[in-house]
Amino acid sequence: MPVDKVTQVAQTKPLHGEIPVYAQYTFGIAGEKFFRELKDNGRLMGVKCPECNLIYVPPRIYCERCFSELTEWLEIPNRGVVHTFTVSHIDLDGNRLKEPVIVALVKFDGVYGGLVHRLGRVEADKVSIGMPVEMVLKSKTKRVGSILDIDYFKPV
Amino acid sequence: MRKVAVVGAGMTKFMRRAQETGKELAWQAARMALDSCELTLKDVDCVVMGTAPDAFDMIHMKAEYLSDGAGAWRKPYVRGFLGGGTGVFTADQAWYHVASGLFDVCLAVTEEKMSSCLPHPQGAFVTCWDQYTESPLGTSLLWFFAWEMNRYMTMHGITERDIAAVSVKNKKNALDHPCAQLAAEITVDDVMKSEIMAWPVKRLDVSPTSDGAAALVFVSEDVAKRITDKPVWVEGVGWCLDTMYIGQRDLYYPKYVEYAARMAYDMAGIKEPRKEIHIAEPYDPFDYKELHHMEGLLLCDKGEAPRLLADGVTQRTGNLPVCPSGGLLGVGNAIAASGMIKVAELFWQLRGEAGKRQVPGKPQRGVAQAWGDEMQVGTVIVLGV
Repeated sequence: MPVDKVTQVAQTKPLHGEIPVYAQYTFGIAGEKFFRELKDNGRLMGVKCPECNLIYVPPRIYCERCFSELTEWLEIPNRGVVHTFTVSHIDLDGNRLKEPVIVALVKFDGVYGGLVHRLGRVEADKVSIGMPVEMVLKSKTKRVGSILDIDYFKPV
Repeated sequence: MRKVAVVGAGMTKFMRRAQETGKELAWQAARMALDSCELTLKDVDCVVMGTAPDAFDMIHMKAEYLSDGAGAWRKPYVRGFLGGGTGVFTADQAWYHVASGLFDVCLAVTEEKMSSCLPHPQGAFVTCWDQYTESPLGTSLLWFFAWEMNRYMTMHGITERDIAAVSVKNKKNALDHPCAQLAAEITVDDVMKSEIMAWPVKRLDVSPTSDGAAALVFVSEDVAKRITDKPVWVEGVGWCLDTMYIGQRDLYYPKYVEYAARMAYDMAGIKEPRKEIHIAEPYDPFDYKELHHMEGLLLCDKGEAPRLLADGVTQRTGNLPVCPSGGLLGVGNAIAASGMIKVAELFWQLRGEAGKRQVPGKPQRGVAQAWGDEMQVGTVIVLGV
């Protein structure tokens, strides 16, 4: 809310209390578009650098190799392969998890880059590098514009 | 550029929880380094400080906080920072302060006090992932190491047992290091039976978190000739950063380490590192990383490092001793200080002053390397006599 200009320094007041520190990031220009497409249309988007002939996922507005501005957006397949994975038994504070989580780096055909995400509907000992997987989305009403709008990737 | 020599080295004990503050640790290491070459703070023209994330010590702008302990009072002072790569980069930085001709004597100090951050310094990494594509998943540092180790194993058909042998070697080497935190005689079975953290990474694949500091004194050629008859020369430096996007990296091979090594080897005139490097101190916060980095440093073919280990080549008595200090796995992982003790180990080894750790055969040239940042930086230095 705008306030009237203060012209007397004596009118300024100190504020007392605690200042909780937290961060509120922005999606950025590329992130806004990527997550809006995911939320509204359930589509994974990449962006192409015509100079370097690379399709970047996650998408971005510039090419880190040639510094071109990137404007050529395209949908990428929702199927990929497990590039590598881990079965994590502890949380961020080092506590043991009741159920270990499988997290993988998923790469997509013809795409430079990939996405980090959980694997679901698969036992840990059945996962292998090179395994084809498919994106499983939350229902449209539950999607909020987050990487967690993707529930997990499952074996094809 | 001018020739630059390392003439002094110092380090504190590495430990889980030091009573000393970070600046007290820095002072202990810096004072020891100066004493070792009979210089005083008055002789020091400038100071470079290497210390990794502020969040480890839980002190914002911690290089400023550490400055008096590092000997920076009323001197040109700068902090270098490349995350886990900082320790070796600080030595690179000290080199160019002197090589440029700006300064004759540069004191390089590194420090980490990881015990301040609770419950675990891992928490310091909560904000280092991409805020939208990675953080919401609860991304943990361990995942990244596990992904790399898994990919390295899968690409080359390497087993967890092959890799565990690095931990066994380095913890054993550390038994001879007076500053070591986690020196032990263990077996491959011990590593295999240790708690799984993020498969394939197990507790004993990982170095401990540590408090500690290290320091080196870099001088110009004329100063070196005046104060010592055993200068150790900086023959090459190199560093390189890969993409921040993990999906765009070759996780089975650290290409950026290769680029950093090539930069340093070119400067040193090294054409065949496998023949011309006599001793190596690659960064080993995890056991697989020693192997990964040997390959990135071009000391063997891709996927060949486990065979050199199995054949005993990388033992202290082998043809290419690797981490004769005991490394991070044995001495401890006080991030920036751990990188620098690798350079210090080369200094002691090349001068024949490594005591019980001394490798036989009078090594003439060694390479030290650190790694880290967002797991995409390689920092390298080549020292020779």
